[in-house]
Amino acid sequence: MAATNDSQTIEEATTGMESAPDQKTRRYDRQLRLWAKSGQAALESSHILVLSSSSTSTSVLKNLVLPGIGQFTILDRTITSPSDAGNNFFLEGQDSVGKPRAEEAVRLLLELNDGVKGHSIVNKDVKEVLGTEDGVEWLKGTFSLVIAHNLEKGALDQLSDVLWKDAKSPPLVVIRSAGFLAEVFIQFHEHAVIDSHLDTTPSLRIDKPFPALLKHSLEIDFENMDVTDHGHVPYVYILVRVLEEWKQAHGGNPPKTSDEKKEFKAIISKMRKKADEENFEEAEAQAFKCWSSTVVPYDIKSLFGAENVAPHTKPFHLLLKALEVYTTTVEPYTLPLSATLPDMKASTGQYVEIQRLYKDRAVEERDTFKAILDKIIAEQGEDASLIDDEVIDDFVKNSHILRLLKGKKWGALDQDKEKLAEAAASEESSKQLGIHLALSALSSLQANAKKQKLTAEAKAILPEGVELPDEHFDNAIGEAARSPTADLPNTAAFLGGVVAQETIKMITKQYVPINGYCTIDLVETWSGVL
Amino acid sequence: MSTAQGRGTHAKAILGPELYAKLENTHVLLVGAGGIGCELLKNIVLTGFGRITLLDLDTIDLSNLNRQFLFRKKDVKQSKALVAAQTASAFNPNVKITPIHDNIKEPQYDIPWFQQFDLVLNALDNLDARRHVNRMCMAGNVPLVESGTAGYLGQVQPLLKDRTECFDCIPKPTPKTFPVCTIRSTPSQPIHCIVWSKSYLMGQLFGEDEDADAGGELDAAEKEGENAQEIDALRKEATAFKAVRDALRSPTNQDAAHLVFQKVFNADIKNLLSMSDMWKSRSPPIPLDFEGIMNGSFVLRQGANADASTSKLPEAALKDQRTLTLKDNVSLFIDSTNRLADRLRNGEDTISFDKDDDDTLDFVTAASNLRSSAYGIETKTRWEVKEMAGNIIPAIATTNAIVSGLIVLQALQLLRKSYDKLRNVHLQFKPAVPLSTISLSLPNAQCGVCRDTYAVLRCDPARATLGEVVKGLLGDDEREVSVYEGQRVLSDPDWDDNNERTLESLSVTRGKFLAIVDEEGELTTLSVGIALLPDDHPADAPPFILPSPLPQPARRVKPPPPAPETPHKANGNGKRLLPVELDDGVIDMAPTPKKPKRNGLAPASVPNGPVSVGTKRKATGREGEEDKSSPSKKRRLEEEGLVVMDGVDDKLEEEPDFILIDD
Repeated sequence: MAATNDSQTIEEATTGMESAPDQKTRRYDRQLRLWAKSGQAALESSHILVLSSSSTSTSVLKNLVLPGIGQFTILDRTITSPSDAGNNFFLEGQDSVGKPRAEEAVRLLLELNDGVKGHSIVNKDVKEVLGTEDGVEWLKGTFSLVIAHNLEKGALDQLSDVLWKDAKSPPLVVIRSAGFLAEVFIQFHEHAVIDSHLDTTPSLRIDKPFPALLKHSLEIDFENMDVTDHGHVPYVYILVRVLEEWKQAHGGNPPKTSDEKKEFKAIISKMRKKADEENFEEAEAQAFKCWSSTVVPYDIKSLFGAENVAPHTKPFHLLLKALEVYTTTVEPYTLPLSATLPDMKASTGQYVEIQRLYKDRAVEERDTFKAILDKIIAEQGEDASLIDDEVIDDFVKNSHILRLLKGKKWGALDQDKEKLAEAAASEESSKQLGIHLALSALSSLQANAKKQKLTAEAKAILPEGVELPDEHFDNAIGEAARSPTADLPNTAAFLGGVVAQETIKMITKQYVPINGYCTIDLVETWSGVL
Repeated sequence: MSTAQGRGTHAKAILGPELYAKLENTHVLLVGAGGIGCELLKNIVLTGFGRITLLDLDTIDLSNLNRQFLFRKKDVKQSKALVAAQTASAFNPNVKITPIHDNIKEPQYDIPWFQQFDLVLNALDNLDARRHVNRMCMAGNVPLVESGTAGYLGQVQPLLKDRTECFDCIPKPTPKTFPVCTIRSTPSQPIHCIVWSKSYLMGQLFGEDEDADAGGELDAAEKEGENAQEIDALRKEATAFKAVRDALRSPTNQDAAHLVFQKVFNADIKNLLSMSDMWKSRSPPIPLDFEGIMNGSFVLRQGANADASTSKLPEAALKDQRTLTLKDNVSLFIDSTNRLADRLRNGEDTISFDKDDDDTLDFVTAASNLRSSAYGIETKTRWEVKEMAGNIIPAIATTNAIVSGLIVLQALQLLRKSYDKLRNVHLQFKPAVPLSTISLSLPNAQCGVCRDTYAVLRCDPARATLGEVVKGLLGDDEREVSVYEGQRVLSDPDWDDNNERTLESLSVTRGKFLAIVDEEGELTTLSVGIALLPDDHPADAPPFILPSPLPQPARRVKPPPPAPETPHKANGNGKRLLPVELDDGVIDMAPTPKKPKRNGLAPASVPNGPVSVGTKRKATGREGEEDKSSPSKKRRLEEEGLVVMDGVDDKLEEEPDFILIDD
């Protein structure tokens, strides 16, 4: 930031500073702390299509309008019935009855946030849209994500086919619910997450110290040090030093056996000048970092070489390629160093110093990474402006928690006989499968199906000879038969939260979304992913 | 079909006609109309609950609108309870919603008041109120559903006396505290400087006249063996605040903010520097030179603010996420101090930190950054300071929606008495298992809240005396007891001075509890909630009505022997200190083994080791706040190499037993 002009008065200087945030920042304060400015910007440029104005659908939309998506469109020709009016908070009771439900819902939803635009289409349904080429192009080209609640089987299958065929299409979120049962599935080809917010910490590389860290650690004169200083040497230096000396005495190896590890800790313990030196306690507690070798984590390594199937993940794949080259050609063959240090016992000066060591090195390594990336981009003939510096920084910073999800087509499970048989036989997943089958049967038969017929329909999906445990199956079918169309307010509220949450993860490309069929039984307050 | 009939169709189909019919006459208390409260109110109205009392202390803030969907921009600064009730009533005219804009801890919300409800739903944003409602529900035997959210995490827990754990059966961790000298003279992290400006400096300048607590804090620190010379310097510094306090309140002094700056960032730092011993091993702070900073001639050490001046600033950065230069911070300090001083001069008595009060947030931002600069600590943006100083917890609509749906489902199971279906539900971060559900545990036999035997005493506290009330409550039972209210001892077997005094003169009034503790430690504590006499109580009748039948305390379950290495400390946080007899015949005044608290800014706890049989303690303090985090789980796991704890926010990785807190 440029220093304020000397000739300014204090008042001018402070008014010019505008330290207080604008209204929008204040409104979104609590969520910006979860997904930051970048996530918010992604939300604000999104346009979501919802193929229903049911109570569940408006619950989902409420939770998307409040945090401020850009636009939404409801496509639904349903006319409001009295039972809708009593069940859906985004209808105006008797006043809404007889009017197009989507129009009423859009009007009331927009009251929640004047920064959001909403549209309703009430003169056609999704089948008609899919019937024309223009309609299909409109679907694929206009929206960031499509949500379908209890869409009848024919239309849903057609929709998922169309969207799956073209990898550029928006993801499709399928919700099916009946009474206390529900299922949520997201159809997408590929979803790349740089900032997954996963709770793993990057390596401090104590076992493979960079030159400046090693040099500093070896230069510390522990013996002649003032007692207070001694109690404030960051544990990282202590470990690097002790490990280096150990390696020299043990043919270059770190402690291996449990006896050696004990001995190693005893060395640290003996270095204390006073019994209560917390930094040495920390060093002992963290000593395992000396013998757990810093390598490229499996979760990251397994991403290398992944096929790029969707155009929007191209930049991620280029970055990934650069990371692969980096970790295989640049010593010490690890991920680039992270500049973030944990809190540790240290004096202010010592802490600032070690921070600087890590930061300087992290910048160097990032620059090396960037040079590799530039080369790859040039080799592949891609546009250098595809990836800006902020994304590179973000990628390097999060290189230990990157995620790349490969999705499946909606309904692919029902065609996969092997997978079905496996799920039915496993105790872990038979309940999920029971719910999935019950809801599948319900969606092909629609309301008023008797339990017997539903059971037959559901069993028909299973390959011959495969049986489901009766208990799970009966419970699920029973609930489906009892309340085939009931959009219970609390189920709707719950689903509204779950689906909006997953939608936000997809749009912001932060956090890891559910991948698979998320099945829910609210009688038991239970959820499981298939 | 009319809307009214239509409204019930779905709910009836699911709940069955019997339970559905019951809902119309079910009286629910919903405590809190914030993030969870708004969602929950919508859900219970839609589910068909007929009578709802909605209580909230708070008013609507702009930052609520990203999730508290019953409020609009025009409602900002209005009562949450009133606006929420209005918006939700419009949806269903048949439901009777009674809004109350008040604090649930007020004395009129006593046990009989709680007992008029069939069910209590907590949607609260602070531990203190959550514990209070838990206790009232345990005392009145009213089913309670507890809940909390934080970011993507959430929790729902149904609670019923004697059948499930209560909210206090598992101790809750208290916020982190720092040693007083770290805050007052040797900060090493930004948070130390933020705590200093928010809790100490703001209090000294804009708080109550006599900051008695500050003195006490220093006394305590001295006893804990902190550097005596340092403490002495800090004492001097505190007394010298009078001059600047007066300047800030003087209508004619235009230079007050400058005076404050000179004292706090120059003179006080010089004073600390004069104790050369302190800075032998630490890098000493640098006194800030006002004029030098303003005319650009003042240069701090290398490093301290180098980042601020060279760091790249993306154009689109949110305004309050910009890094302020040293000069910016001085300007902001002067400006915000003047704004606060103007408010004092215009009649405000005291001003304390409030994250939504821009003047105080600016002040704390500037003051903490200036202190950080002086000490060579990295500075923070206003945005970051707000989060750190305001204990801001991220909050979004989605988590609240999920949790509120779950609350009603648990509530229905409670009403239906399907106790086997009750679940303690955690909403987690794991994409593969969004919900983690646990069957409920039985009450903790040592719980100081739900293991008490509760009763209501209707009385006129101005006439009823302690002695007659206690005697009446014990009936024919002649056992020896001690009597407490809160932390205070009112009588014990060898000390009956208060027996002739009225309850009112002892401040035992409506809404409070008399705790009658068995001297032998054989029986559970009898906790008697004070309520008023009915209106038709004859004037000449005795001034209290004993519960009938008289409450019969149960036999205590002996606690397991405590872990050997942990010293016993005064029990914390509203739990009574129940003397418990240990296996070795020693009476432990604080049965739960705890980690000793570090000397900190939190209220000091009374050191309280095991006391031999027969020794009486006349102390008035029975408890104090205390660090309850498990002592060394983190360490142990690290030893085993199971968790790597060097994240940016290095915290105890305990499974959350509860979750704070969306307001």
